Amino acid sequence: MHHCPAAASATLLAVLAASPQGGAFLSATADPAAQTLNGFLAEVERKAFRMAQMALRHDDDALDAVQDAMLQLARRYANRPAAEWRPLFYRILENRIRDLQRRRTVRGRIMAFMPWSRDAEETDSDPVERAPDPAPGPVAQVEGSQIGVALQQAVGLLPARQREAFLLRNLEGLDVAETARAMGCSEGSVKTHYSRAVQNLREQLGEYMT
Amino acid sequence: MSNEPEPSPFERRARELLRESVDHLDAATRSRLTQARHAALAARSRTQPKWLDLRVLAPGGAVAAVALVAVLLWGGPSHHPANDSGGEMDDLELLTDSDGYELSQEPDLDFIEWAAAMGETDPVGA
Repeated sequence: MHHCPAAASATLLAVLAASPQGGAFLSATADPAAQTLNGFLAEVERKAFRMAQMALRHDDDALDAVQDAMLQLARRYANRPAAEWRPLFYRILENRIRDLQRRRTVRGRIMAFMPWSRDAEETDSDPVERAPDPAPGPVAQVEGSQIGVALQQAVGLLPARQREAFLLRNLEGLDVAETARAMGCSEGSVKTHYSRAVQNLREQLGEYMT
Repeated sequence: MSNEPEPSPFERRARELLRESVDHLDAATRSRLTQARHAALAARSRTQPKWLDLRVLAPGGAVAAVALVAVLLWGGPSHHPANDSGGEMDDLELLTDSDGYELSQEPDLDFIEWAAAMGETDPVGA
Protein backbone atom coordinates (compact mmCIF):
# COMPACT_ATOMS: atom_id res chain seq x y z
CA MET A 1 0.00 0.00 0.00
CA HIS A 2 1.45 3.36 -1.08
CA HIS A 3 0.83 6.63 0.67
CA CYS A 4 0.99 9.92 -1.17
CA PRO A 5 2.84 12.48 1.02
CA ALA A 6 0.97 15.42 -0.52
CA ALA A 7 -2.38 13.82 0.21
CA ALA A 8 -1.29 13.02 3.74
CA SER A 9 -0.20 16.62 4.28
CA ALA A 10 -3.48 17.90 2.91
CA THR A 11 -5.40 15.58 5.22
CA LEU A 12 -3.33 16.71 8.19
CA LEU A 13 -3.94 20.38 7.35
CA ALA A 14 -7.66 19.74 6.97
CA VAL A 15 -7.79 18.00 10.35
CA LEU A 16 -5.79 20.78 11.99
CA ALA A 17 -7.95 23.49 10.43
CA ALA A 18 -11.11 21.73 11.56
CA SER A 19 -10.13 21.66 15.22
CA PRO A 20 -10.26 24.93 17.19
CA GLN A 21 -6.70 24.61 18.50
CA GLY A 22 -5.39 23.45 15.16
CA GLY A 23 -7.02 26.34 13.32
CA ALA A 24 -5.44 28.82 15.69
CA PHE A 25 -2.14 26.99 15.35
CA LEU A 26 -2.23 27.20 11.57
CA SER A 27 -3.04 30.91 11.62
CA ALA A 28 -0.28 31.43 14.19
CA THR A 29 2.29 29.59 12.14
CA ALA A 30 1.60 31.88 9.19
CA ASP A 31 3.30 34.54 11.33
CA PRO A 32 7.13 34.29 11.21
CA ALA A 33 7.42 35.14 14.92
CA ALA A 34 5.04 32.30 15.74
CA GLN A 35 7.07 29.97 13.54
CA THR A 36 10.23 30.91 15.44
CA LEU A 37 8.48 30.30 18.75
CA ASN A 38 7.10 27.00 17.47
CA GLY A 39 10.60 25.91 16.48
CA PHE A 40 12.01 26.86 19.86
CA LEU A 41 9.29 25.06 21.81
CA ALA A 42 9.61 21.97 19.61
CA GLU A 43 13.32 21.91 20.34
CA VAL A 44 13.03 22.17 24.12
CA GLU A 45 9.79 20.34 24.89
CA ARG A 46 11.17 16.81 25.25
CA LYS A 47 14.17 17.87 27.30
CA ALA A 48 11.91 20.01 29.46
CA PHE A 49 9.59 17.05 29.97
CA ARG A 50 12.46 14.81 31.10
CA MET A 51 13.68 17.51 33.51
CA ALA A 52 10.22 17.90 35.00
CA GLN A 53 9.71 14.14 35.12
CA MET A 54 12.95 13.59 37.03
CA ALA A 55 12.03 16.30 39.55
CA LEU A 56 8.36 15.40 39.98
CA ARG A 57 8.51 11.65 39.28
CA HIS A 58 5.05 11.81 37.80
CA ASP A 59 4.29 11.93 34.07
CA ASP A 60 1.06 13.94 34.24
CA ASP A 61 2.53 16.51 36.63
CA ALA A 62 5.59 16.79 34.37
CA LEU A 63 3.38 17.41 31.34
CA ASP A 64 1.40 20.01 33.27
CA ALA A 65 4.61 21.78 34.25
CA VAL A 66 5.91 21.86 30.67
CA GLN A 67 2.56 22.97 29.28
CA ASP A 68 2.30 25.79 31.83
CA ALA A 69 5.84 26.92 31.05
CA MET A 70 5.07 26.94 27.31
CA LEU A 71 1.86 28.92 27.86
CA GLN A 72 3.54 31.46 30.09
CA LEU A 73 6.42 31.96 27.68
CA ALA A 74 4.06 32.33 24.72
CA ARG A 75 1.73 34.73 26.50
CA ARG A 76 4.20 36.92 28.35
CA TYR A 77 7.59 36.70 26.71
CA ALA A 78 7.00 35.88 23.04
CA ASN A 79 7.81 39.47 22.12
CA ARG A 80 11.23 39.30 23.77
CA PRO A 81 14.24 38.49 21.56
CA ALA A 82 14.43 34.79 20.78
CA ALA A 83 17.89 34.60 22.37
CA GLU A 84 16.28 35.30 25.77
CA TRP A 85 13.67 32.55 25.52
CA ARG A 86 15.78 29.60 26.65
CA PRO A 87 16.83 30.91 30.09
CA LEU A 88 13.36 32.41 30.59
CA PHE A 89 11.64 29.16 29.68
CA TYR A 90 13.74 27.07 32.05
CA ARG A 91 13.27 29.54 34.87
CA ILE A 92 9.51 29.42 34.39
CA LEU A 93 9.64 25.62 34.23
CA GLU A 94 11.63 25.34 37.46
CA ASN A 95 9.23 27.69 39.24
CA ARG A 96 6.34 25.55 38.07
CA ILE A 97 8.08 22.37 39.22
CA ARG A 98 8.57 23.87 42.69
CA ASP A 99 4.93 24.98 42.83
CA LEU A 100 3.83 21.44 42.07
CA GLN A 101 6.25 19.98 44.62
CA ARG A 102 4.98 22.39 47.30
CA ARG A 103 1.39 21.62 46.44
CA ARG A 104 2.12 17.92 46.67
CA THR A 105 3.78 18.36 50.07
CA VAL A 106 0.86 20.39 51.42
CA ARG A 107 -1.61 17.85 50.05
CA GLY A 108 0.37 15.05 51.70
CA ARG A 109 0.34 16.85 55.07
CA ILE A 110 -3.39 17.51 54.90
CA MET A 111 -4.12 13.94 53.91
CA ALA A 112 -1.99 12.67 56.80
CA PHE A 113 -4.44 14.31 59.25
CA MET A 114 -7.48 12.70 57.65
CA PRO A 115 -8.78 9.68 59.57
CA TRP A 116 -9.48 7.64 56.43
CA SER A 117 -5.92 8.06 55.20
CA ARG A 118 -4.45 6.18 58.20
CA ASP A 119 -5.34 2.77 56.76
CA ALA A 120 -3.94 3.68 53.39
CA GLU A 121 -0.73 4.77 55.07
CA GLU A 122 -0.07 1.21 56.13
CA THR A 123 0.08 -0.02 52.57
CA ASP A 124 1.60 2.86 50.63
CA SER A 125 2.89 5.66 52.77
CA ASP A 126 4.99 7.76 50.40
CA PRO A 127 3.22 9.34 47.40
CA VAL A 128 6.59 9.76 45.67
CA GLU A 129 7.18 6.03 45.89
CA ARG A 130 3.72 5.41 44.49
CA ALA A 131 4.40 7.69 41.54
CA PRO A 132 5.03 5.97 38.21
CA ASP A 133 8.57 5.00 37.49
CA PRO A 134 10.21 7.44 35.03
CA ALA A 135 11.36 4.59 32.82
CA PRO A 136 12.18 5.80 29.32
CA GLY A 137 10.39 2.90 27.61
CA PRO A 138 11.53 -0.56 26.49
CA VAL A 139 13.85 0.59 23.68
CA ALA A 140 15.83 2.85 25.96
CA GLN A 141 15.95 0.20 28.65
CA VAL A 142 17.47 -2.28 26.23
CA GLU A 143 19.93 0.22 24.77
CA GLY A 144 20.88 2.07 27.93
CA SER A 145 20.33 -0.95 30.15
CA GLN A 146 19.20 0.08 33.62
CA ILE A 147 21.88 2.69 34.10
CA GLY A 148 19.88 5.38 32.32
CA VAL A 149 16.95 4.80 34.66
CA ALA A 150 19.29 4.74 37.66
CA LEU A 151 20.81 8.05 36.55
CA GLN A 152 17.40 9.66 36.19
CA GLN A 153 16.33 8.45 39.62
CA ALA A 154 19.57 9.66 41.19
CA VAL A 155 19.25 13.07 39.51
CA GLY A 156 15.66 13.29 40.76
CA LEU A 157 16.86 12.83 44.33
CA LEU A 158 19.42 15.65 44.16
CA PRO A 159 18.68 18.94 45.95
CA ALA A 160 16.71 21.22 43.62
CA ARG A 161 19.52 23.64 42.73
CA GLN A 162 22.00 20.84 42.09
CA ARG A 163 19.50 19.00 39.90
CA GLU A 164 18.74 22.18 37.99
CA ALA A 165 22.39 23.00 37.38
CA PHE A 166 23.25 19.44 36.37
CA LEU A 167 20.35 19.11 33.91
CA LEU A 168 20.70 22.55 32.36
CA ARG A 169 24.37 21.86 31.73
CA ASN A 170 24.17 18.24 30.61
CA LEU A 171 20.70 17.78 29.14
CA GLU A 172 20.03 21.22 27.71
CA GLY A 173 23.70 21.90 27.03
CA LEU A 174 23.78 25.44 28.44
CA ASP A 175 27.14 26.95 29.37
CA VAL A 176 27.79 28.38 32.83
CA ALA A 177 26.67 31.92 31.95
CA GLU A 178 23.42 30.72 30.34
CA THR A 179 22.76 28.38 33.25
CA ALA A 180 23.27 31.27 35.67
CA ARG A 181 20.71 33.34 33.74
CA ALA A 182 18.23 30.46 33.74
CA MET A 183 18.71 29.82 37.45
CA GLY A 184 18.75 33.50 38.40
CA CYS A 185 22.05 33.25 40.29
CA SER A 186 25.75 33.98 39.83
CA GLU A 187 28.08 31.90 37.70
CA GLY A 188 30.01 31.01 40.84
CA SER A 189 26.86 29.54 42.39
CA VAL A 190 26.22 27.51 39.25
CA LYS A 191 29.74 26.05 39.42
CA THR A 192 29.27 25.16 43.08
CA HIS A 193 25.86 23.51 42.56
CA TYR A 194 27.10 21.70 39.49
CA SER A 195 30.27 20.31 41.06
CA ARG A 196 28.31 19.11 44.11
CA ALA A 197 25.78 17.44 41.82
CA VAL A 198 28.51 15.64 39.89
CA GLN A 199 30.16 14.58 43.13
CA ASN A 200 26.87 13.24 44.55
CA LEU A 201 26.05 11.33 41.38
CA ARG A 202 29.56 9.94 41.05
CA GLU A 203 29.35 8.61 44.59
CA GLN A 204 26.07 6.86 43.79
CA LEU A 205 26.67 5.71 40.22
CA GLY A 206 30.36 6.00 39.59
CA GLU A 207 31.09 2.32 39.25
CA TYR A 208 28.25 1.87 36.72
CA MET A 209 29.01 4.93 34.65
CA THR A 210 32.52 4.21 33.41
CA MET B 1 32.13 27.97 26.14
CA SER B 2 35.80 27.73 25.26
CA ASN B 3 36.86 28.81 28.77
CA GLU B 4 35.02 25.93 30.37
CA PRO B 5 36.88 22.79 31.40
CA GLU B 6 36.50 19.65 29.32
CA PRO B 7 33.77 17.35 30.68
CA SER B 8 34.99 14.28 32.52
CA PRO B 9 34.17 10.78 31.17
CA PHE B 10 31.49 10.56 33.87
CA GLU B 11 29.84 13.77 32.64
CA ARG B 12 30.11 12.69 29.00
CA ARG B 13 28.43 9.37 29.81
CA ALA B 14 25.73 11.16 31.79
CA ARG B 15 25.04 13.44 28.81
CA GLU B 16 24.75 10.46 26.47
CA LEU B 17 22.31 8.70 28.77
CA LEU B 18 20.18 11.78 29.32
CA ARG B 19 19.99 12.55 25.62
CA GLU B 20 19.11 8.93 24.83
CA SER B 21 16.26 9.18 27.31
CA VAL B 22 14.97 12.23 25.41
CA ASP B 23 15.32 10.50 22.04
CA HIS B 24 13.41 7.46 23.27
CA LEU B 25 10.44 9.30 24.66
CA ASP B 26 7.29 7.32 23.95
CA ALA B 27 4.89 8.36 21.18
CA ALA B 28 2.01 9.17 23.50
CA THR B 29 4.09 11.65 25.49
CA ARG B 30 5.49 13.19 22.31
CA SER B 31 1.96 13.65 21.02
CA ARG B 32 0.81 15.31 24.26
CA LEU B 33 3.80 17.64 24.15
CA THR B 34 2.94 18.61 20.57
CA GLN B 35 -0.63 19.35 21.64
CA ALA B 36 0.65 21.45 24.53
CA ARG B 37 2.88 23.42 22.14
CA HIS B 38 0.00 24.08 19.75
CA ALA B 39 -2.15 25.23 22.67
CA ALA B 40 0.60 27.64 23.75
CA LEU B 41 0.88 29.05 20.22
CA ALA B 42 -2.89 29.41 19.99
CA ALA B 43 -2.91 31.21 23.35
CA ARG B 44 -0.24 33.58 22.07
CA SER B 45 -2.26 34.47 19.01
CA ARG B 46 -5.34 35.03 21.20
CA THR B 47 -3.56 37.23 23.74
CA GLN B 48 -1.84 39.37 21.12
CA PRO B 49 -4.41 41.08 18.87
CA LYS B 50 -3.13 42.38 15.54
CA TRP B 51 -3.91 45.99 16.36
CA LEU B 52 -1.58 45.80 19.36
CA ASP B 53 1.30 44.73 17.17
CA LEU B 54 4.06 47.39 17.34
CA ARG B 55 4.62 47.08 13.61
CA VAL B 56 1.01 48.14 13.09
CA LEU B 57 1.05 50.82 15.79
CA ALA B 58 4.36 52.41 14.81
CA PRO B 59 3.24 54.33 11.65
CA GLY B 60 0.10 55.65 13.35
CA GLY B 61 2.09 56.64 16.40
CA ALA B 62 4.65 58.48 14.27
CA VAL B 63 1.93 60.43 12.45
CA ALA B 64 0.29 61.32 15.78
CA ALA B 65 3.64 62.47 17.21
CA VAL B 66 4.37 64.66 14.17
CA ALA B 67 0.87 66.16 14.36
CA LEU B 68 1.31 66.90 18.07
CA VAL B 69 4.66 68.62 17.49
CA ALA B 70 3.14 70.66 14.64
CA VAL B 71 0.24 71.78 16.82
CA LEU B 72 2.59 72.76 19.63
CA LEU B 73 4.87 74.72 17.29
CA TRP B 74 1.98 76.40 15.48
CA GLY B 75 0.03 77.40 18.58
CA GLY B 76 3.01 77.85 20.87
CA PRO B 77 3.94 81.58 20.46
CA SER B 78 0.31 82.76 20.65
CA HIS B 79 -0.29 80.81 23.80
CA HIS B 80 0.19 82.73 27.01
CA PRO B 81 0.46 81.32 30.46
CA ALA B 82 -2.24 82.05 33.03
CA ASN B 83 -0.59 85.15 34.47
CA ASP B 84 -0.51 86.78 31.04
CA SER B 85 -4.27 86.76 30.84
CA GLY B 86 -4.35 89.37 33.64
CA GLY B 87 -2.11 91.58 31.49
CA GLU B 88 -4.52 91.30 28.59
CA MET B 89 -7.35 92.40 30.85
CA ASP B 90 -5.26 95.38 32.08
CA ASP B 91 -4.64 96.49 28.48
CA LEU B 92 -8.37 96.26 27.77
CA GLU B 93 -9.19 98.39 30.83
CA LEU B 94 -6.66 101.00 29.73
CA LEU B 95 -8.23 101.21 26.28
CA THR B 96 -11.78 101.66 27.63
CA ASP B 97 -10.86 103.99 30.50
CA SER B 98 -9.47 107.34 29.36
CA ASP B 99 -8.41 108.37 32.93
CA GLY B 100 -6.53 105.18 33.31
CA TYR B 101 -4.74 105.74 30.04
CA GLU B 102 -3.66 109.26 31.08
CA LEU B 103 -2.46 108.03 34.43
CA SER B 104 -0.50 105.29 32.77
CA GLN B 105 1.34 107.97 30.81
CA GLU B 106 2.39 109.85 34.00
CA PRO B 107 6.17 109.88 34.43
CA ASP B 108 5.87 109.59 38.23
CA LEU B 109 3.44 106.71 38.35
CA ASP B 110 4.99 105.30 41.53
CA PHE B 111 4.10 108.48 43.46
CA ILE B 112 0.49 108.39 42.25
CA GLU B 113 0.15 104.75 43.26
CA TRP B 114 1.64 105.57 46.71
CA ALA B 115 -0.74 108.51 47.15
CA ALA B 116 -3.72 106.33 46.18
CA ALA B 117 -2.64 103.67 48.64
CA MET B 118 -2.32 106.25 51.45
CA GLY B 119 -5.78 107.56 50.61
CA GLU B 120 -7.23 104.05 50.98
CA THR B 121 -5.51 103.39 54.33
CA ASP B 122 -6.31 106.82 55.74
CA PRO B 123 -9.58 108.01 54.11
CA VAL B 124 -10.10 110.84 56.67
CA GLY B 125 -6.86 112.54 55.64
CA ALA B 126 -5.68 113.04 59.18
